Amino acid sequence: MSVSATLKYMVNVNIIGKTALGWQRRRAEHSTFSSSKWRTDILSEPLRIGARTKELISLHYLAGRYANGHRPVAWVTSGGPVEILQALGYYVLYPENHGALCGARRAVVDISTEAENAGYSRDICSYARTDIGSVLSGKTPVGKLPKPDLLLACTNICQTVLHWYRVLADHFNVPLILIDTPFVYDEAPDHAIKFVRRQLEDSIPVSEQVAGKTLEYKKLQEVLQLSKDATELWLEIMGRGKQHPAPLSVFDQFIHMAPIVEMRGLKTTVDFYSQLLKELDERISKGIGALKKERKRLLWDNLPIWYRLRYLSEYLAERGIAVVASTYTNAWGELAPLINVDKPLDSMARTYLYPILNKGTKYKLNTMRRMVEDFDLNGVILHSDRSCKPYSIGQVDQRNRLIKEYNIPALLLEADHDDPRAYAEEQVASRLAAFMEMLED
Amino acid sequence: MELPAIPNRIETITAFKQNSGMIAAVLPIHYPRSLFRAFDVLPVEVWGPPGTDVSHGGAHLQPYVCSIVHNALSFLKKGGLDLADFIAVPHTCDSLQGFGSILLDFVKPKQSIFPLYLPRGNRPEDLRFLTEEFRQLYRHLSGLTGKKPSEEILLRCIRREEKADDLLRQLYEKRQKVSLSNYSFYHLVRTREYLPAETFISIAEKVLSRKGFDNPKGTAIILSGIVPEPMEVLTTITELGAAVVADDLACCGRRLYASGKSEQPFRRMAERILNAPPDPTRGNSLEERKQYLLRLADQTDARGVVFYDVKFCEPELFDLPRLRAKLKAAGLPSVQIEIDLNDPLSNQIVTRIGAFLEILG
Repeated sequence: MSVSATLKYMVNVNIIGKTALGWQRRRAEHSTFSSSKWRTDILSEPLRIGARTKELISLHYLAGRYANGHRPVAWVTSGGPVEILQALGYYVLYPENHGALCGARRAVVDISTEAENAGYSRDICSYARTDIGSVLSGKTPVGKLPKPDLLLACTNICQTVLHWYRVLADHFNVPLILIDTPFVYDEAPDHAIKFVRRQLEDSIPVSEQVAGKTLEYKKLQEVLQLSKDATELWLEIMGRGKQHPAPLSVFDQFIHMAPIVEMRGLKTTVDFYSQLLKELDERISKGIGALKKERKRLLWDNLPIWYRLRYLSEYLAERGIAVVASTYTNAWGELAPLINVDKPLDSMARTYLYPILNKGTKYKLNTMRRMVEDFDLNGVILHSDRSCKPYSIGQVDQRNRLIKEYNIPALLLEADHDDPRAYAEEQVASRLAAFMEMLED
Repeated sequence: MELPAIPNRIETITAFKQNSGMIAAVLPIHYPRSLFRAFDVLPVEVWGPPGTDVSHGGAHLQPYVCSIVHNALSFLKKGGLDLADFIAVPHTCDSLQGFGSILLDFVKPKQSIFPLYLPRGNRPEDLRFLTEEFRQLYRHLSGLTGKKPSEEILLRCIRREEKADDLLRQLYEKRQKVSLSNYSFYHLVRTREYLPAETFISIAEKVLSRKGFDNPKGTAIILSGIVPEPMEVLTTITELGAAVVADDLACCGRRLYASGKSEQPFRRMAERILNAPPDPTRGNSLEERKQYLLRLADQTDARGVVFYDVKFCEPELFDLPRLRAKLKAAGLPSVQIEIDLNDPLSNQIVTRIGAFLEILG
C-alpha cells in the first residue's frame, strides 16, 4: 500500500467526498416530492431513506475509485462469502451490482457493445457483458472502477460467474478464489457442506497473502454478526410488505437492496436498514402505502428489469396493482437464521449453500406459494430473464402449477434484467393488460 | 478403409437388456462409466439427439435454453428414453442443472433420476468431494438395484474402462495413420457414448491392428466445441480438403481419461475425471486451454482450429474471445461456428469453413 494513495483516499473520500455527499443528502431530504421524476398522482412520497441510499452507494463507488494502492480490492460475485474479505479490510466490488446500476442508468447497450465488439456473444449474461465491456473500455457511470487484487467467485447463484470470473482472472492476472457450492436438489449432503467449509478455510491464506495481513478470528465474528444483523433487518423490512397497504413495493426494495448485497458486514449497513425499518413503521402507523390506492397485490419472481423499473411501477400503480414481495429480494434475507457467529465457517458453509438459486425448482415454487399466502397476494409475475438461466429454467412449470394446482393467476414475462434489446415494450404491455384482466376475474 | 461392423444404439441397448442388464440414459459430459457397469447398468449418452421435434421440450423450457437440453427433454417426453431404467444428469452447466431439477420436480419420468455434481476445480478438496459424490451414487444405485458390488468388482470395471480409454487414446494418437475418413473416425470414436467397454475394446483393437495406413490428406485442423452435429459436417470438411487431426470436443477429446492411480475405487474414478483434458465446465483456466490446444497443434501439425459450438452454450462462449486471441498470437488461427442441433448443415457454415481453410492455405 502506498502513502500517496492513502493520502488521496483520505482527502477525496473521507474529507471531500463524505462532506459533499452528506450535504447533497441533507439537501435532498428537505426537497419536495415535486422534484421526483416518478408520478405523484398514483405513488406515495418516495421513502426519505432514498437520499441516504444514494449517499451510501455514491460513497461506496467513490471509495472504490481511490481504493487501489490504499486498500486491497476484491471483486466478488453477489452471493459470495464476503465476510472473510471484509474482516481483512478489503474494498469489495460486486460487478453484478455495478451491472444493475448501469442498467438503471441505461448505460448497458453502450458498455455491453464494447464486449460484443471484442467477440463476446449476446447470448451470455448481460451483467457479464456489461462488466467485461466496462473492463475493456473503462466506461462506467460511476467514474472509475478499481482494479481487483483478488477475485472471488461463488457458484451458488449460477455457473455463469465461474466462466465470467475466469475471463476476469485471465485479463487482470490476479488470483481467483473459487467457492464451489454443489447444487442442492433437496437437502445438502454432509460431504457438500464439508466441501464448502474446506474451500472457505483454504480461501483464508490466499486472501491474507493478497491483503498482507492476518485474519483475526474475533474480527471475523464481528463482521459476521453485522452481516447477520443487516440480513435480519432486511428480512423484517420485506416482511412489512404484508401490511395493507404495503408501505414499500418491490421497486423500492430493488432500489434499496444495494447495501445488503454489496455492503454486508459493515455497521453502516445495519444503521441504514434500522433507519429504513423505522421509516416503514412510521408509514404503517399512518396508513401510508407505496401506492396511493392499492387494489391488488402481486409477487415478482426473478431479477428486476433494471431499465424499466419506473415504467413497470407506474404502469401497475395506475391500475392499483402493488407488487409487494419478490423471491429475488427475499433471497438476501431468508438465510439470516443460518448465520451463527459462534461457528463462523460452519455456518457460512451452510448459509452460502442454500440461496434460492442453488436450490431446486420445486423449492422456488413452494417459496412462491408460501409468499402468496403470507403476503396475501392476488397473483405472480414471473420475469423470464434471458440472461439468468438458473433462475428462469423451471418457470414455465412453476407458472403452470401456480395456475392449475393452486388457482393463483401467474404471468410469464419475457425480458432481460439488463439488456433492453431483449425487451419489447408493446409485447410486455399487452401481456400485462391481459394479466390485469385475469386478476379482475 | 471401412470400419468393422458396429452395432447402433438400439441394437446395443436391446442386446444388453436381453442379458438382464439395465440402461442409464446419461446427459453430458463427465460421469463414472465404471460405477454404472459395476451394477450391470450400461450408460448410454444423450447428446440431444439432433433433429428432434422440440415442441415437447418447449412446454417446459424457454427458447434461450440450448438445443442439447431442449432436444433431450423432447426426446424423453416423446418416449425416446423409454428403454432406459435410470437417467443420470451431471451438473455440467446451468441449463443441465435446470433440466435435472425440472425432471425431478415437475416432469417426473418413470425412470429414477440421478443428479451428479462435478466440482469446478482440481484441488485436493475437489477430489475428496467427487470421491464422496461417487460413493453417494453407489448407494443410490445399490438401493435401486439391490446389488452391492465389491471393491474388487469396482476396480475390475474401472480397469476395463481404462483399457477402453487407453485404446481410444491410441486411436487418437495413430489418428494420422489410421486411414479413416473424418466421418468414419468420429463415428468410431463416438461409439464410446453407448457401447459397452468390452465391445469398444474389441472394435478398437481390430482397427488398430490394421497395417499400411495412409496419412490423412488435406489441411490439418483441430475441431473444438461440444458435439460435431450434424455429423455431415465431418464429410463436408473432408470434401473441402481438410482433415480433423485432433479435437477438443466435449463428447470426444475432452474425455480422453487417463488411468487413475489410487487403489480405492471411488477415488480412482474421481481422479480420472479431474485429470481429464481441460474443459471449461470443470473450471480449467483459459491459459490451460490455450496450452492444451497449442500442444495438440504441435503434436499433429494442425494449422487452425474450428470452434464449433452449440448456440446459447455459455461455458464455450465466455472463453472464445480471449482464447482465440491467445491462439492467434501464438500463430494458430481459428474460426467460430455456431450451430443448433435441429438445423441442417447450412451453406453459410460450409462457406465459412471453406473460407477459413482457404486462409490456412
